[in-house]
Amino acid sequence: MAELIQTQDRKLRTEEMVIQMGPQHPSTHGVLRLEVTVEGEIVTHVKPYIGYLHRCFEKHAEQMGNYSQVIPYVDRMDYVAAMSMEWSYVLGMERMLSIQIPERVEYIRVIMAELQRIASHTIAIGTFGLDLGAFTPFLFLLRDREMILEIFERTCGARLLYNYFWIGGLSHDVPLDFVDRTRQFCTQFKKTIVEVNNLLSYNEIFIKRTANVGILPANVAINYASSGPVLRGSGVDWDLRRDDHYSIYNRFDWQPQIGKGERGTVGDCWDRYIVRCREMEQSVKIIEQAIEQLPDGDVQSAIPKRIRPNASEIYVRTEAPRGELGFYIVSDGSGSPYRVKGRSSSFVNLSVLPEITRGYMIADLVAILGSIDIVLGEIDR
Amino acid sequence: MAQTKITRTSDLTFWQKLYIPEIIKGMKITIRQMFLPKFTRQYPEERWNPPASFRGRPVLVEENGKERCVACGLCSRVCPALAIEVQASETELNKERYPVKFEINMLRCIFCGLCEEACPEEAIVMSKEYELTFNNQEEAIFGKDKLLISKENLKERLEFLRQYR
Ligand code: SF4
Ligand code: SF4
Repeated sequence: MAELIQTQDRKLRTEEMVIQMGPQHPSTHGVLRLEVTVEGEIVTHVKPYIGYLHRCFEKHAEQMGNYSQVIPYVDRMDYVAAMSMEWSYVLGMERMLSIQIPERVEYIRVIMAELQRIASHTIAIGTFGLDLGAFTPFLFLLRDREMILEIFERTCGARLLYNYFWIGGLSHDVPLDFVDRTRQFCTQFKKTIVEVNNLLSYNEIFIKRTANVGILPANVAINYASSGPVLRGSGVDWDLRRDDHYSIYNRFDWQPQIGKGERGTVGDCWDRYIVRCREMEQSVKIIEQAIEQLPDGDVQSAIPKRIRPNASEIYVRTEAPRGELGFYIVSDGSGSPYRVKGRSSSFVNLSVLPEITRGYMIADLVAILGSIDIVLGEIDR
Repeated sequence: MAQTKITRTSDLTFWQKLYIPEIIKGMKITIRQMFLPKFTRQYPEERWNPPASFRGRPVLVEENGKERCVACGLCSRVCPALAIEVQASETELNKERYPVKFEINMLRCIFCGLCEEACPEEAIVMSKEYELTFNNQEEAIFGKDKLLISKENLKERLEFLRQYR
């Protein structure tokens, strides 16, 4: 604390002040309340308060009549990336029941999950820019997200909460124009990335606001068990899609992106931001390859008639757009889950906030929070 | 307390501080956008017609003036939000059973489509309606009067189900 006070004008007697930020604050990305202790304009401590969006997801899951009824609720965890949420849960159930799913289903799932990753990152990047006063990129990105949502809507009928991945398969096959639309999206989106890079990523004003701000060193990131772009932004090369060998990601040519500290220090806000940007490019790459190889087949052939796993437990993790998403599912041999525990990446990533905001200005706090990219639905469940 | 030293931007020259080139660069992209076709929809005037795959509010299929439903209760069992209430009774028609009371609480429904999936008779399907507003809670509980929609009006959805299920 002593150094901090030294940074202030010695003649002024400063007192700590506690400011409540949120729960209705535009830059807390939902109903999050931050108790910010400030010393003048310098943040000395931040304490996040969560729970405003708690919907008893885990308890709900226990009350369900069967395992597939949980899927619509899983959607509602991270509503910005519902496909990825479903995938994790569904994958866990498939491992529990040892179901071998058809090739076509795997490919469609990869395409859907990567589209979802792009859709989620566009929101992340867009709102991050919005927090820092850049309104236009947000609109550009939402325009392209709209294309993804249209693809989803034509496939499964919903724009946000899909209930599309089912245990052992998918609820519908993709429509006939799916391949064309996805290709069209890829071409369009590549242009948008360039546009956004020009407008935001390499814009000097934006870099000044984000580079060297909110530095998260690699060892701290690992100690706090953060994951996803937050961890990779700190230069740790860890991506479950490659390192956990789930699904068919090893068939495609792509690279996990890590922050290198090009504009400042490794692990600053800009690094976390650019990791997301580059990840979107990689996702487009994966989608293009998957679309080329998409095999024919029946997407519902492996769906089990009755889902009644033996008494057992399983933990699965997948790489959701915000990091490691885990599901710990316990079955007691009956038709409904005994316990479903979600390990949400936003929740774990948020816990690093007090560590990386110390000593920065309040305006930077907004930038740092935006760069972590939290979704309150996933934090509170 | 270990402080990360804040290296803020005092190294900028006067011109850099004005950020004029950056602003011009950004404005060029934004202004170009003005001459491109508009992307937004003027919603209340310009209606949106959802594709056949769209999952709007669930409705009951009406065939020859009667509901198709045989009141088996599968939909209400499968509904994760416990939104459906069915009460069965006997009828002279050859389907033997029909619902005296069929209610969907639209405040509970989460538009998951599982009821449509579970129904053995294709009697409950998701419609295209997406504008649902209520003035009070009682209004939000839809009885048979609001749920029954004739088969002709649901043709697209039924076709879609046949094709993709
Ligand atoms: S759509 Fe889902 S929540 Fe709504 S009535 Fe059907 S099963 Fe229940
Ligand atoms: S709508 Fe279908 S599932 Fe529901 S009670 Fe009627 S016949 Fe059974």
